[in-house]
Amino acid sequence: MDVLKDEILPQFEKETGIGTEWVEADFSGWLQKALNDGQTRAGAFDIYVMDDLWVPRFAGAGYLANLEELGFSVDTDFVPCALDLGYWPPKNGLRQPGIDAKAKPVLFSLPLVSDVQLLFYRNDIYDRPPATWDDIFRMARERSNTAKRQYGWVTRGVKGNPIANSYFVLLHAFGGDIFAENWKVAFNSPQGVEALEFYLRLLEYEPPGVAEFDSDQEGETLLQGNAHAATMWTGWCSQTDDPLRSRVIHKIDFDVPPKQVNRIAKLGLFMAGIAASAPHKPQALEFLTWFSRPDVQIRFARAGGVPYKMAAFKDPVARKNCRWLDAILNALTMGVPSPRTSDWSKVEDILGTELNRALLEKGNARRHLDAAAAEATAFLKSAGYPAA
Amino acid sequence: MREKWLPWALIAPTALFALAMTVVPLGYSLLTSLREFPLGRTPTFVGLQNYRVLLHDGNFLGSLGTTLWFAVAATLIEFVLGLSLALLLKDEFSFQGIIRSSLIIPMVIAPVVVGIIWRLLYNADVGLFSFIVQALTGRNLSVLSNPTLALPALILVDVWEWTPFMFLILLAGIQSLPQEPFEAARVDGATPWNVFLHLTLPMLRPVIVVAVLIRGLDAFTVFDQVFVMTQGGPGTSTEVATLMIYKTAFRFSQVGYGAAMAMALLFLVMGFSLAVTRAFRASA
Repeated sequence: MDVLKDEILPQFEKETGIGTEWVEADFSGWLQKALNDGQTRAGAFDIYVMDDLWVPRFAGAGYLANLEELGFSVDTDFVPCALDLGYWPPKNGLRQPGIDAKAKPVLFSLPLVSDVQLLFYRNDIYDRPPATWDDIFRMARERSNTAKRQYGWVTRGVKGNPIANSYFVLLHAFGGDIFAENWKVAFNSPQGVEALEFYLRLLEYEPPGVAEFDSDQEGETLLQGNAHAATMWTGWCSQTDDPLRSRVIHKIDFDVPPKQVNRIAKLGLFMAGIAASAPHKPQALEFLTWFSRPDVQIRFARAGGVPYKMAAFKDPVARKNCRWLDAILNALTMGVPSPRTSDWSKVEDILGTELNRALLEKGNARRHLDAAAAEATAFLKSAGYPAA
Repeated sequence: MREKWLPWALIAPTALFALAMTVVPLGYSLLTSLREFPLGRTPTFVGLQNYRVLLHDGNFLGSLGTTLWFAVAATLIEFVLGLSLALLLKDEFSFQGIIRSSLIIPMVIAPVVVGIIWRLLYNADVGLFSFIVQALTGRNLSVLSNPTLALPALILVDVWEWTPFMFLILLAGIQSLPQEPFEAARVDGATPWNVFLHLTLPMLRPVIVVAVLIRGLDAFTVFDQVFVMTQGGPGTSTEVATLMIYKTAFRFSQVGYGAAMAMALLFLVMGFSLAVTRAFRASA
């Protein structure tokens, strides 16, 4: 985001003569502001920068303008899965109750930063990228030395979204899923239990207190050279080679999280949509159109941003400047987003609380996943889902 | 006639402002709690439905219990420490200004920053507490990921931050007490304990009520430190009501249900205020 704010926006202003104002707020505070603006149609903002899981809420509630109606046309250079997240109703997968199964997906937002969870691993510990989760476990067992604060793995364990995101990758890798047909809760399937049991087995090779770790502590543990591998968001990539931030410069490599049954990466893109009540819609559209131009995307990538156009991922200079771009593109092609429903946050909170409890008890995976499934099912039923 | 209406006219702007700032938002919250806000559709009136669900919501009732425990324990400890400090530092002594000023530093730090500082102190791997415990016992101490220790740890943070507030109010109260009764007690040979018990405490009662009420009401709405340090975890052991209301209304978009939760918290806070006021009135 810093690249966008500090380097790209000034270029846009210079090239188009359109002034911009960047409003900065913490994640939750911004959600609150944007929702209020959408609900009251106050027109305080032209563009909402959204976590991709906000798109169902904002688009479903009518807070976003139809980009194609405004005149935006999609080209074939977009990374497909990144663009798909901008549509509502979703192009693929389950549809939230109340939404016509035949309703045509409409483009309400575009990617802004192609954030995705990558595997960060130490190239001085691993001879080659770990191919399977078993490789991660084996290396953690062989190379961890807790007395010297050397840990084979580090994870986000704090309740709610952080631990749910950590588990999400494992769940899918082990062949599980969050929901089955008709929104039936499926994370307590045998595959889900196996994934959580594996997650808990790794605890032996992790720093003490990971149950309170959010992404900042997870990242710091890796950058300070105390952990050998972790799944983290792309925002950490550039910091690994920054001498002011990292003690393991050029010792961290990047890849798609490993395979067990499946190989997937968790998508978590930042999206940009034009507010339905935006006072400057033409200018907002001009920014989105300008930013999606291949030459601008290449400039963005060369400066360290994470693009969403294939041209930028293929640019030799960008790839040289940012050695993680190939891994990001691979991860995007195997990316799985959060379930496309405006109620995902609630289900994620329920799941994240029970995962955190399992982590504290270092066991009882089945019991905690069943408890989360029961609570999530009750909630979904009350919200009108056909979950049975 | 003019004289009859003049006082009303003079207080009307203030009264209307107070009404607009307190009663109207409260009334709107109450109205919100009786409605449901389906995303993108017109809100619908659901009567007491949200309250009926609330009565059976074990998570929310648990969070009210956590909030009550947090507020009562924090306020009580802060009162005892604040009063002790005020009694200790009430007389003139060298470096008085520096010591008093340094005591109020925690109070002027933003709660979010306080949360970050203490999260680092509590860190199981590199935190100060863990370091001390490891030096003494050879074992790591994961304070914030221990369901038994996490809430007391948050109470300790609140005590660290807000004891200076109690100290300042009580010190001002003690220094404004008339000196004659104390001089008379000294002449009569009263012990310091008797002076404290029979003079200082009773004379200080109005100040104590104000201090405990202000601090208690604030403690009931604790949010920042919990949000930064634990997110309500481990499990739900530090899930205070404000955090749950925030998540319900803003993260889960259940605005009506969140408003019903807020009203329930309001009743709990009012109950606390009444209990404190009555307890002090009874002891008068």
